[in-house]
Amino acid sequence: MKRGLLSGGRLPAALLAFTVFASMRGAAQPARPPIPPDIAGEWRLDNNEQDTTAQPPLGDYLGIPFNDAGRMRSDTTAESIWGTPEYQCRPHSAPHQWRGLGGARILKEQDPLTRSVSVYHFQFMRSLDRPVFMDGRPHPPAYAPHTWSGFSTGEWVGNTLKITTTHLKDGYLKRGGPQTSDMLTMTEFITRHDEILTIVTVVDDPIYMDEPYVESTTYTYDTTSTVATETCNASSFAENGGTDRHWVPHFLPGQNTALTEWLKTADWIPVEPTRGGVKTIYPEYRAALTGAVKTADLKVPSSKSANDVARRLAESSPRDGEVHILPVQGNIYMVIADGTNLAVSIGADGILLVDTGTPEMSEKILAAVRQLASSVVANPTANRCFGANCPGKWGWSSPYIGAVISAPAPVRPLRYIINTSAAPERVGGNERIATTGFFPRGSQFGGAVENVGPRASVVAHEEVLNRMSAPAGKTAPMPTASWPTDTYFDEFHKLPEYMNGEAVIVYHAPNATTDGDSFVFFRHSEVIAAGNLFSTVSYPKIEVDKGGTIDGVIGGLNKILDLAVAEYRAQGGTWIIPGRGRLSDTADVAAYRNMLTMIRDRVRDLKRKGMTLAQVKAARPTMDFDGRYALLPGSVSPDAFIEAVYSTVK
Amino acid sequence: MRTFLLVIGATAIAASAAYAHHSYAATYDITREIKLEGKLVQFVLRNPHSFVHMEAPDEHGEIRRWAVEWAGSAQLDAQGVKRESLKVGDQISVTARPSRVTGEYRALMLSLRRPLDGFTWGTRAGETVD
Repeated sequence: MKRGLLSGGRLPAALLAFTVFASMRGAAQPARPPIPPDIAGEWRLDNNEQDTTAQPPLGDYLGIPFNDAGRMRSDTTAESIWGTPEYQCRPHSAPHQWRGLGGARILKEQDPLTRSVSVYHFQFMRSLDRPVFMDGRPHPPAYAPHTWSGFSTGEWVGNTLKITTTHLKDGYLKRGGPQTSDMLTMTEFITRHDEILTIVTVVDDPIYMDEPYVESTTYTYDTTSTVATETCNASSFAENGGTDRHWVPHFLPGQNTALTEWLKTADWIPVEPTRGGVKTIYPEYRAALTGAVKTADLKVPSSKSANDVARRLAESSPRDGEVHILPVQGNIYMVIADGTNLAVSIGADGILLVDTGTPEMSEKILAAVRQLASSVVANPTANRCFGANCPGKWGWSSPYIGAVISAPAPVRPLRYIINTSAAPERVGGNERIATTGFFPRGSQFGGAVENVGPRASVVAHEEVLNRMSAPAGKTAPMPTASWPTDTYFDEFHKLPEYMNGEAVIVYHAPNATTDGDSFVFFRHSEVIAAGNLFSTVSYPKIEVDKGGTIDGVIGGLNKILDLAVAEYRAQGGTWIIPGRGRLSDTADVAAYRNMLTMIRDRVRDLKRKGMTLAQVKAARPTMDFDGRYALLPGSVSPDAFIEAVYSTVK
Repeated sequence: MRTFLLVIGATAIAASAAYAHHSYAATYDITREIKLEGKLVQFVLRNPHSFVHMEAPDEHGEIRRWAVEWAGSAQLDAQGVKRESLKVGDQISVTARPSRVTGEYRALMLSLRRPLDGFTWGTRAGETVD
């Protein structure tokens, strides 16, 4: 039991938390009871958003162990962000959901063989269904998508259901201010005492907090409780006014003057603890309040985080010299080649590869894609006809028997490579991989490069070719065989015909990370390969000397958001494959766009005030995001990113 | 008058906290009130909240498109406000709480008046945004 739970005006919640922890610790990992308590049913929330612990006044961070980054992020995030098209339909963030509106419905799904509960389903007002898997399955890999309710597994520890949740999106700890990162993990302990359900939630977010945040919530069994499953029809409408659909509401550092507004009617509360911080939530802080000791000198028995964010970020972009494949949607697979994300379309027409990775990975990429293509396209399929009843098929037997008694046909060839920029990890494998493909060319017609031989078409914006080649008589930075063979110069380029049953459109993102950036939209599969425009593990690498600008990166992300559509409640739908990191959806791209816009506006404001680059770096305008996007070794450093932004904003 | 409107506004905030998907108090500056006069360009009647979009000048006199957040369709229906109650092109006068974010043209409805026929909302008991 942490003594700090008794401070900060959170006594009832802390006592409940104490009760649960004490009972759990008193028994050393008791075995699962023969019949676990039944938690299914309709439950009524006893402490809801009217309670200021769930919806505090703006600027009230009492009891939250914020670090400086968490404080800055919360101070500068505007509640109006809910009005943006990408967020209007989002459900409550997972840490807040138990304190959200209405009641909770808990359903159970049983294994038909063992009759044990295999999945609990939690549902709240306007929420998504939240499955909690009880069947022992592992959590997905770190490069799998994050969702609003995350991925949850449960186990009984005595009479308490312990739920572990990962893969959550960024959001808020409480409504109206305190923010969380998308790297938080959540552990819940759910205990039923007769008609009372107690939920103790431990939110572990070391990006923004110095120790896990603990709170408890109680529900009462109530058969009359209802859970409104209201649909959301908001995303078509502009809630924030104005005419800029890409508007990102936020406060510049120091601009949010309302943070202490609430203290005008609660003037007995000193300002310091309202800013949160681990040292203000333990009883030792009373000595600081009396002036006997400085807060900075206090020693408090804070808890350690069990959330190894550095490891999880590294696993979301594994630099292990191997190739990992994640099926995405329709024809499209995400290929992670030593940390660089590629996309591959596989189908009856052949193979299309977006980017080729580094040269060192070419053989492994080829082997992985061939194996995937073989299993996807050439596998024997179920027998749906027989004898002479197979229209359009040659022979007297069925295709199924033909596939079984002979070797399967070879996979269709690699036909296209699309380069999203001239960055080494995007074009490095062009030379080796393109020569394994085939693109039919009429003699002397249709190719940007003559006599290219039987190789795949390599499509890119013409500035990519300019970066890789050189005028006659000069030495090109890249060998001829690696150059794009088919370039475009317009705002977009459609492949001339369907590929694997769908339109493939290459969009130019002008002056983004370079002057030759593209992203690729697979229109039927509903997948976008974003290249270096988007990463979930790093700030963008903006190459100013090659025409890159921060406004171009933000513009490219906005173009992606214009094309992408969420499936339901700001989740899923069009999937976006980032250049590095986990598979993402519209809300993830919006979160990245929001972060870049906030930092761009901060740097621009400081520059317009006459500050030098060194002064802007010293002001640390990226501080609240550095723990998230500059943590991974090899990611773009805050100084390098600030320099790129500073030199390209006006 | 200003004090009266502020009291109405505070009541609305307290009552509405349990229903909105976002926090009113965090979104809007409940200590300020603005007046917008202009042309209605869109009326979005829906749940959980309706929106009146209008073109009206900002504090610098520039015409902006404002999104004024209003009550949900069920609440407005109970108060006699129907889809046909407001028409595109109507000249309207609105008092509202402004957004806390500089440069954002959204506001929370306190009252709406159409001078042409005297249609009003926000002056009778219960006419607050829940």
